[in-house]
Amino acid sequence: MSKKLTLNLITPEKQLISNREADMVVLPALLGEMGILPGHIKTIVQLGMGSLRYKNDGKEEEFAVLGGFAEVLHNVVNVFAEGADLADEIDEEVEKQKIKAVKESLSRKDADIDFELAEIEIKQAIARMKVKKRHM
Amino acid sequence: MESLRDIRQNIKAIKSTQQIMQTMKMISSARIRRAQEAMEAARPFAKKMLEMVDDLKQDILAMPQPDEGESWEGRFFVNKTGDPRKIGLLVITGDKGLAGSFNAVILRSVLQFLKEHKDKEIFVFAVGKKGRDFLARLKMPRLHLAYESVGIFPKVSYAHAELLGEAVLKTFFEQKLGSVTLIYNDFKSLASQNLVEQKILPFDFEAIAQDREESDFLFEPGMLEIFKQLVPRLFKANMYRFLLESQAANLAATMNAMDAASKNAGELVTALGVKLNKVRQAGITNEILDIVNGAEALNS
Repeated sequence: MSKKLTLNLITPEKQLISNREADMVVLPALLGEMGILPGHIKTIVQLGMGSLRYKNDGKEEEFAVLGGFAEVLHNVVNVFAEGADLADEIDEEVEKQKIKAVKESLSRKDADIDFELAEIEIKQAIARMKVKKRHM
Repeated sequence: MESLRDIRQNIKAIKSTQQIMQTMKMISSARIRRAQEAMEAARPFAKKMLEMVDDLKQDILAMPQPDEGESWEGRFFVNKTGDPRKIGLLVITGDKGLAGSFNAVILRSVLQFLKEHKDKEIFVFAVGKKGRDFLARLKMPRLHLAYESVGIFPKVSYAHAELLGEAVLKTFFEQKLGSVTLIYNDFKSLASQNLVEQKILPFDFEAIAQDREESDFLFEPGMLEIFKQLVPRLFKANMYRFLLESQAANLAATMNAMDAASKNAGELVTALGVKLNKVRQAGITNEILDIVNGAEALNS
């Protein structure tokens, strides 16, 4: 059986991966990582913040995913992520700066800040950094 | 009669206004390309999301209602449990004018909507400064401004859609609204926008029909858990699409309005130019007459 998986990675802002072949996909499910191989049963998984990896012909690529869903259906894996970044493109320094900037804006009481937005931003930056560390 | 200097000044003023309008047109047309790209990029997500919900339709409809109190599923998918005397209204306008009738069309239909439902409690969610200001000025005892978001155009991001979606859903459940209606301008083409008034909540499940229903999925964590997350997310993806559509439509309207205005300004300048020449000519003629008359008087 030389069947392969087809992977789609979609965020609301863009389609990151479209119809790419893969031997294996590892999803950051809410309850722990989950490996998908060809012939997987139809599944719908809720994703947490974490790392999404796929292997194709021995090559591996990794993404930091910020929550969402994945659907496995007839060897097609559709990943709907709130946000996703290629691990290689994540810059730890930038993420640290982001956290710092958000924290600073929070400490200034007079500013008109959206607390929910700030919380989400910090969480996402931390998740990205984690994936980056793992990837190195 | 206007003097030459007045007319010249007038022409100068119009020309500089025209320049501003042309610049604004250029800015909008540059932004509109980006807005269109964002719309294009957002489409697959919404489409696939819809397909996924479509896949699950059978399972959802077969799902037993939970025991505790009012079921959120029933509310989401079928039109039953909300209080019909309490409704929601989501209005998406632009932040600025200078876009022809873009905002006026929306506000007119909002007014119409409010008139039709004046015996009900109305919770309004306003996106865009124009709509917010308009609604805040209205004095209706049963009108509540539940959420407002201004200054997000022309840089709408998914985070805005998320906050908006969250606010609408929260009010929908807490106030037990019977329905939520959306009024906004849809991007049809560069030349035209479409006023759309549509019900966005409760979800109309029948409308999602793409005939690729699958069942017997494996769920992780559980079906109910997934559903509690999935449906709001689909809702937010839709919100994102509406915001992007409205953004592109607004830019297109601005572009057209500015284009028309600068054309009008051009016509005005031409007309004034003719007038200027006439006045100048008349002045010269008068001067010649004076000279000729003077010479004649000396001769006689």
